[in-house]
Amino acid sequence: MDEFGSSERRVVIKIVIAAGFLILFGRLFQLQYIYGDLYGKEAEANSIRNVSKIPIRGYIYDRKGKLLVENQPAYTVMLTPIDFDTTKIKFLSKILGMASEEIIARIKQAKKYNSFVPARIKRDISFAELSLIEEYKDKLRGVEIQMESKRHYASAARGSHMFGYAKEISDAQLEKNKNYYQPGDLIGNAGLEAKYEEYLRGEKGWEFISQNAKGQIIGTFDNGKHDIPPEAGLDLHLAIDGDVQAMAESLLADKRGAVVAIDPRNGGVIALVSKPDYDLATFSGVTPPDEWHALNNDPDKPLFNRATLTRYPPGSTFKMLLALEALEKGIIDENWKVTCPGYFRYGNKTFDCEHVHGTVNVVDAIHKSCNVFFYQLMLKVGLDNWAEMGRELGFGRLTKIDIKEEDTGLLPDRDYYDRVHGKGKWTQGYLISLGIGQGEVGVSPVQMANYAAILANKGHAFQPHIVNSIYTKYSKNKIDVKSDEHTIKLSDHTWDLVREGMRRAVMEPHGTGTAARIPGIQVAGKTGTAQNPHGKSHAWFMGFAPYEDPKIAICVLVENAGYGGAFAAPIAGLCMEKYLYGEIIRYNRIKLSGEVRPIAVN
Amino acid sequence: MNSFFKEYFDRTIFFAVLGLMCVGLLSIYSATFDAYEGRDFFRQLQWAVLGLFAMLSMMLLPLRWLQRSALPIFFASLGLLILVLVMGRRVYGSQSWLGIAGLGIQPSEFVKITTMLAVASFLSKSDVKATDLNDLIKASLIVALPIILIMLQPDFGTALTFLAMFIPVLYWAGASKFLVIIIIAPAIIATASIIGTTPFLIALILLGVGLWMLRRENQFIASLVFGTNVVIGFLVQMIYNKLPAYQQKRIATFLDPNNDPLGAGYNVIQAKVAIGSGGLFGKGFLKGTQTQLNFIPKQWTDFIFCVPGEEFGFFGGVVVLGLFAIILFHGIRLASITKNKFGSLIAIGFSSLLAFHIFVNIGMSVGLMPVIGIPLPFLSYGGSSLISYMMIAGLLMNVYANRKEY
Repeated sequence: MDEFGSSERRVVIKIVIAAGFLILFGRLFQLQYIYGDLYGKEAEANSIRNVSKIPIRGYIYDRKGKLLVENQPAYTVMLTPIDFDTTKIKFLSKILGMASEEIIARIKQAKKYNSFVPARIKRDISFAELSLIEEYKDKLRGVEIQMESKRHYASAARGSHMFGYAKEISDAQLEKNKNYYQPGDLIGNAGLEAKYEEYLRGEKGWEFISQNAKGQIIGTFDNGKHDIPPEAGLDLHLAIDGDVQAMAESLLADKRGAVVAIDPRNGGVIALVSKPDYDLATFSGVTPPDEWHALNNDPDKPLFNRATLTRYPPGSTFKMLLALEALEKGIIDENWKVTCPGYFRYGNKTFDCEHVHGTVNVVDAIHKSCNVFFYQLMLKVGLDNWAEMGRELGFGRLTKIDIKEEDTGLLPDRDYYDRVHGKGKWTQGYLISLGIGQGEVGVSPVQMANYAAILANKGHAFQPHIVNSIYTKYSKNKIDVKSDEHTIKLSDHTWDLVREGMRRAVMEPHGTGTAARIPGIQVAGKTGTAQNPHGKSHAWFMGFAPYEDPKIAICVLVENAGYGGAFAAPIAGLCMEKYLYGEIIRYNRIKLSGEVRPIAVN
Repeated sequence: MNSFFKEYFDRTIFFAVLGLMCVGLLSIYSATFDAYEGRDFFRQLQWAVLGLFAMLSMMLLPLRWLQRSALPIFFASLGLLILVLVMGRRVYGSQSWLGIAGLGIQPSEFVKITTMLAVASFLSKSDVKATDLNDLIKASLIVALPIILIMLQPDFGTALTFLAMFIPVLYWAGASKFLVIIIIAPAIIATASIIGTTPFLIALILLGVGLWMLRRENQFIASLVFGTNVVIGFLVQMIYNKLPAYQQKRIATFLDPNNDPLGAGYNVIQAKVAIGSGGLFGKGFLKGTQTQLNFIPKQWTDFIFCVPGEEFGFFGGVVVLGLFAIILFHGIRLASITKNKFGSLIAIGFSSLLAFHIFVNIGMSVGLMPVIGIPLPFLSYGGSSLISYMMIAGLLMNVYANRKEY
């Protein structure tokens, strides 16, 4: 049976085609007649635009759940270029105290993006400015006020360099991140705000608005059915102890320097202070250009993060490094002794020591900080071994702490000397001062605190991290910040000897770090006094406590202060005391005579 | 003279196509005039004139000669497709354009025609029967070749049009209904199962009813086909659920663009607003705000229907639909009255091809169909597409002129 082109098949094909036309016809009828009113009256001469909704930036809490950084309402002046009468620019500039040229520049940029969409003219206006705008509303068509949020710093901790700030996105940043940001958006620019920008910012929402043929906004499109609500940013939960941070900041007031404290058990950063600092509130709204200029040109460099970017010689704190290498390699043992006459002569050069220490072994030499012992030891150990141990202990490279502003420091090695002085043109004499942490070597406080934590942990090293975890009350997902760890394998005997020297430096008479003592707790540490051709020496202290079961490792640097034992050690002692007891108890005689128990710190 | 004209000149198709072409030219003028000072309009006008010549020459070609030389022409056109893959240029992510003397041509548009002619020529041979499995496989191979080459570009939408053209032709040629169901059922079931459980069940019921109505056929095979489709449905659903969320979203957005109001759905929402706001009588020529503010991307190519929809309203839309309906039903009538098999098959094939383009393209503009980038015949901007549809119209007119020849 040949069914070619049978009438039955013709009917089937006709039905399918007719059905197709019927559906399209019905749909046109529905869209243009039935919904014609919806699309017609409301949507007649209508078009839709999408407008971004900025989410709430994530909060920042300390290790005890104390709020450090939150948001506060702020009023922003918005201007819709198409509606604005440009003859009113002068008037507006007077009200806002802004240069006309700046307003013109902002309008120009907004027009490039979209003349129909309101653009930011000035963030965080004062109440007086707000009332003036409201008063002259009739004259200022196209100008409106939008409620936005700005950062508010809720605790006594300033944390300028650690928190960092978010600023209006620059053209260069916009070029790199076109798919998320628009002109006028905030973007983290320094510190945690920059490093964790993607978590803090949340996800922008979108609102679809209808506008008429002239481009004026009529209202929401389709009752907001297609709108995407913004997703609030995630909160940062820090390892920082807000109270210790605030105290360390106050102890460094009027000084130039830094404090970095790390929990040696996990690498969590307990405090990170750089002084002088700046008021982050200045950056939370608009930064007046003159203030920005002043901060940038201050000779004390308040914007510079001394905790992570400094490159100073570490002084005597580097003696442990050399001792570790010498003991572990078997170059010396604990019975190897040096007699210190108060100086060391090499060739025609004389290297000084602070005192005449007599005959000392390695533990005594750390305890009393004898330079002569380490001058001689450096010659025995040699540059290559020394540099290798320095690298193991985290010097000359980034600690990878979770803020972007960090410097590698400088750990000179054979290549370095060959490059700087020329191959074969440098002698062993160049190395002698390295043994006591002087010379070309440069370290930062965060590297030093990391070094203290490694000593506290007998070699187990963690990547330092300010943030512990990222989550919000409302989200179930908790992101734990991953911290790399590794172990520097040296024998327990080596660690014990060096750590005992550090303990004695603080706890025993004739130690250089006795000012770091805390009531009721054994502290280990080492002072450093880095000579400096431009003025007084830089004072260092690094150490940890309690000696038996370390819970905090710390580094204090005070620039151009003098002896580490006199200027850095007391600050370190107070910070560790605050952390371990939760308060300063040393003046509290009653408590001292009674039972003193360090509060449990997890 | 007048009766001669009546006898050999298909005025129905000629005037319907002319009408659609005018709507298309007006729409392109409206959508692009301010942007390029009419450059696109004048270019399309040139294509239209060239298209008229193409239409008339296709009408005048001897049908017998076409039938005999369809296969060599087909293989030559496949050569063009291969050339595109080797040296074509990329437009919108797929490599389907060929530059010849500074003009871009899209060979896949013309390969549709040569493929149809080759299939019709093969199926109209006296010793070939659509009921014979061997012959069916040979016919399928002819269609499979260009589909594979076009999928390599990759241009999914165009490849789909080949199937939309081939299946009705098989059906018309007398292939068993059972076979047609077996071919199209899995695609429908798979799509329905991704959309949701209810559509999946409805599709299954429809399949069951269809198979039951053909129960004269082998019952065992019928149940096997039903069972296989049930499994396909569940399998597709299972695989879909295991896909990463972003891939699921991509598929869901493809099937229903409203899921993604910022991306693909943006065009669809804008298109719906444009058409809906046209109302009954439209806003008037050059007065459509959606069109004039350039809210709809690609509105002079794939979304061209929005322009008459907005500016001429419901009546404008119905006129366009009506002109298309005239061509399609006339094409089906031609297929029935034509005395020769070859002519009958190409009439059905080209009508199906046009129907697919019309339903998918307009369906997309009114938010009923996924966004598949295929042009609206005679309206969309683009030389290759306009000329190839004019050629198709010319071939339909050719069938009319030769309808009484065996």
